[in-house]
Amino acid sequence: MGGPAIEIQGLEKTFTGHLSIGRIHALRGVDLSVPRGVIYGFLGPNGAGKTTTLKVLTGLLRPDRGTVRLLGAPAGKRDTRAHIGFLPETPYFYDYLTGAELLRFFGRLHGLGARTLDEKVPALLKLVGLEGRGNLPLRKYSKGMLQRAGLAQALLNDPELVILDEPMTGLDPIGRREIRDLILSLRTQGKTVFFSSHILADAEMICDEVAILVGGKVVQQGSLEKLLGSDVRFWDVALAGCPEETRGWDGAELITKSGDQMLLRVELEGELQSLLDRARGAGARVVSVAPHKASLEDLFLSHMPGGDA
Amino acid sequence: MSGRAGPAGLAWMQVRALAANTFREAVRSRIFYILMAFAVAMLLFSAVMSLLTIGSRAKIIIDLGLTITSFITVMTAIFVGIGLVYTEVEKKTIYNVLSKPLGRAHFILGRYLGLMAVLLVNLAAMLALLSLLLLLFGGFTWALFVAGAFIYLELAVLTAIALFFSSVTSPVVSAICTLAFYLVGHTSSAFLESLAPRLGSPAAKSAAGWLFHLLPDLNVLNVTNLIAYDIPLASGFATRALLYAAAYVALLLTAACLAFSRRDLV
Repeated sequence: MGGPAIEIQGLEKTFTGHLSIGRIHALRGVDLSVPRGVIYGFLGPNGAGKTTTLKVLTGLLRPDRGTVRLLGAPAGKRDTRAHIGFLPETPYFYDYLTGAELLRFFGRLHGLGARTLDEKVPALLKLVGLEGRGNLPLRKYSKGMLQRAGLAQALLNDPELVILDEPMTGLDPIGRREIRDLILSLRTQGKTVFFSSHILADAEMICDEVAILVGGKVVQQGSLEKLLGSDVRFWDVALAGCPEETRGWDGAELITKSGDQMLLRVELEGELQSLLDRARGAGARVVSVAPHKASLEDLFLSHMPGGDA
Repeated sequence: MSGRAGPAGLAWMQVRALAANTFREAVRSRIFYILMAFAVAMLLFSAVMSLLTIGSRAKIIIDLGLTITSFITVMTAIFVGIGLVYTEVEKKTIYNVLSKPLGRAHFILGRYLGLMAVLLVNLAAMLALLSLLLLLFGGFTWALFVAGAFIYLELAVLTAIALFFSSVTSPVVSAICTLAFYLVGHTSSAFLESLAPRLGSPAAKSAAGWLFHLLPDLNVLNVTNLIAYDIPLASGFATRALLYAAAYVALLLTAACLAFSRRDLV
């Protein structure tokens, strides 16, 4: 199967309420292309249509219009699903099973034999940080542990494409870092990871490419480098020992002042050097100079209502 | 990949996994043991009743015992069956299951076979207790297990009805519809047989005939009285009953699969 890992063209999905009252246009013509071997962030505010898109990818929903191909094959087909791993948003599992039983059950649905599962289940439990917890019933798992079990079941079939719906939800900072590391290791293994999230910091840290979905349409997609650029947008300069009468310097915006300490912001590189020279000349000490590039959050917010896009 | 089943074996492995999971779900639930305890109490009650009643003690135990066995297993079939698909969707456990390389028909079939396995265990346990009582009080007959087989056929039909409704509507509506089918199934043949001769127009007679064939006739699968009173089954009775139940189950499961395959899992 060749081509991009995910290729979506003109995807539309509308939900109709009871008695055909209240139509919700969840997806209004989504176009998306996800290359193979990358970590791809599918970002958007709540209600943007991220989960709906993921459910179409995994065959849980049928599209009204458009084409969806995964690994070069039509989405939703059984053969296609054999090559993907999926973690739904807030995974719900059979709480009467233990973690190990859950993985064995899903392994059987993938057609894995008992001997393969004997090796695979403990290895996966270890990989997601649930080593020694496999015999505990899922009803005793915390939210974070359930998320890890969900990740383990998504990797049972050694998938080429891993689709994760909000994988960081419910995890503490340590857990989030572990899952980030796990996602990075999947890319190292040559897998494509497509994950939806509204936690932009996580996405910015690990994604090669992102798409931003707003109101059921992709408003921007591409590599982070292309979307954010590498130019510094402004510098924050922290000074100490400033003369008492100083209220700031031309070309620099005063952010805050406390005693003899000041935080100033300059947008042009030439003004930065001038500011530093003048501050030193006035007897002030430069504590720090922090360059700020455009962040994913800036980009994301620029597409929100009231943003400056 | 090594250790992975071939295409031919995959579907069967998936159905077995789903059936085993359904079975595990039932036997790990408290309600299963409450129902079994209730069944044991009711069967013991039938034995006590036989001591207080005039007539053949064995016949009373068999008659009452089989009726209790049938009633409790039927209620289990209906009230577990109506949640077989609905609860999976409601609890969202189905998202993970159906994202695997699994056909929706396999899901329906696996859930159905899982509940049938639970009912088999229920039925076997109750028949074993009934046999024990008859061994103690006298009057044991192997025909008890023939009656058990017919009860199982009825359970197969009712579970399929409950599963069909579970795949298209809510548990409350499913329960009402399945119970209605159960009641109609035990009364329709007698009602329509007595009604047909009184109908004047040929169209009404024809409609009554169609209705008779369309609605399930669960009396075809009820041999409790015949067994209790040592009346031999007519030649070909069992074959006809088996074919009747199999046809009904196949029809209902196909309808359930078709309805479920078109459904969006929101």
